[in-house]
Amino acid sequence: MITVRNLHKSFGQNEVLKGVDCEIKEREVVCVIGPSGSGKSTFLRCLNRLEDITSGEVIVLEKNITDPRIDINAVRREVGMVFQRFNLFPHKTVLENITLAPQMVRKESKAKARETALELLGKVGLRDKANAYPNQLSGGQQQRVAIARALAMNPKIMLFDEPTSALDPEMVGEVLDVMKKLAQEGMTMVVVTHEMGFAREVGDRVLFMDQGYIMEEGKPADLFGNPQNERTRNFLSKVL
Amino acid sequence: MTDFQWDALIKYLPYFFDGLVMTVELTVIAVILGTVLGLFAGMGRLTKIAPLRWLSNIYVGFFRGTPLFVQILLIHFAVMPGIFGKSSAFVSGIVALSLNAGAYIAEIFRAGIQSIDRGQMEAARSLGLTQGQAMRTVILPQAVRRMLPPLGNEAIMLLKDSSLLAAISLQEMTFYAKLMQGKTYLAWEPYLTLALMYLVLTMLLAQVVKFLERKYGTL
Ligand SMILES: Nc1ncnc2c1ncn2[C@@H]1O[C@H](COP(=O)(O)OP(=O)(O)OP(=O)(O)O)[C@@H](O)[C@H]1O
Ligand SMILES: [Mg+2]
Repeated sequence: MITVRNLHKSFGQNEVLKGVDCEIKEREVVCVIGPSGSGKSTFLRCLNRLEDITSGEVIVLEKNITDPRIDINAVRREVGMVFQRFNLFPHKTVLENITLAPQMVRKESKAKARETALELLGKVGLRDKANAYPNQLSGGQQQRVAIARALAMNPKIMLFDEPTSALDPEMVGEVLDVMKKLAQEGMTMVVVTHEMGFAREVGDRVLFMDQGYIMEEGKPADLFGNPQNERTRNFLSKVL
Repeated sequence: MTDFQWDALIKYLPYFFDGLVMTVELTVIAVILGTVLGLFAGMGRLTKIAPLRWLSNIYVGFFRGTPLFVQILLIHFAVMPGIFGKSSAFVSGIVALSLNAGAYIAEIFRAGIQSIDRGQMEAARSLGLTQGQAMRTVILPQAVRRMLPPLGNEAIMLLKDSSLLAAISLQEMTFYAKLMQGKTYLAWEPYLTLALMYLVLTMLLAQVVKFLERKYGTL
């Protein structure tokens, strides 16, 4: 579903990704871990071209998104993204947040978009919040709405950038549960996370990023249980 | 001041009223045109398209960097005759006031748009919205709410600054006050009346802005 070849990304003189290669298959849940500043978010944001790609190839759903001529909006429709800070639209209700893109981008009727939205709200356990505004919700609830908003586009891939890092500890579980359910339903997911428990339990594969490279990757049991790289060991000893 | 000439004032009151209508008309039209201009110039200052950005910067720089009074004279006596062969005070007045307002409102738009968290645009784009769709449905509605107080200020400034148009004999309030002075050689009567009329108008406008802020300003 996603193929990344020799991806480089610089901000001015600062080279943040120094040649990343990876392949993500359908129904796979890939967790990305690594120290702060190692380029995890930047890598994720290159997958839907929220960051301009400096060089290399990123192929998403058979479209080479490095090619400036492709219709990036058509690719983004199929790739949902969930942000650390939720980024709900504060001037719109929960329902409007969720129905906006299906109506505007997919040209769904209002009734159809509404029906899907309520269904998704039920799935994330927030059906009764349809008419609330984001600032009336807790962080955990906002993040679940953000997940529902992304799912409303019926994406083939979901990208998560530290979806629980901005949450109070008691709300982390409710968001991870929703993600776990999604993974079980077979969604292809790339998840940048500090939640090692989630990576170990739900991830099919874990990528360890450091200094702009994928230093090591493997099945969670292998990478956590028997890390090969010195830096991986070092990092894991600090976070586990 | 002891013998305030009420009867002279009453005789000129219908003129003052005509002037008031003109002043309000000028302000309303200039606020509307200025907002449209300001929206485009404000976005122009933020665009990646360099020529549009330069154009917007030059426009905003010029109209903020020179006195409105000079702009009025330039437009009425040079630009309009240069283009159309003649000029009308009303058209020149609208053009000058709107262009000036547009430059200030462009800055209000730019600041308003930039004050919206970058994550809002990213979230909208990640859902597949185009830049324009995201701007219209996500960024601008939030930005406009934050812009209400400075826009209100700008409207009040415009209302007051429209008095400068008396210099090109546009028949708004200040013009008639000057006229009355010329005819009657009275000063307190026309100018104190004039000042009070501006004061009442600006206070009314401030109330309108306050009402709009209460209605739409909170998120
Ligand atoms: N828009 C930007 N402009 C300039 N530099 C940036 C930008 N975004 C990220 N960087 C730099 O790129 C590097 C990697 O950032 P990135 O956000 O990808 O790290 P991360 O692994 O996600 O870290 P964290 O765990 O703290 O989120 C950092 O040094 C950061 O300062
Ligand atoms: Mg990050």
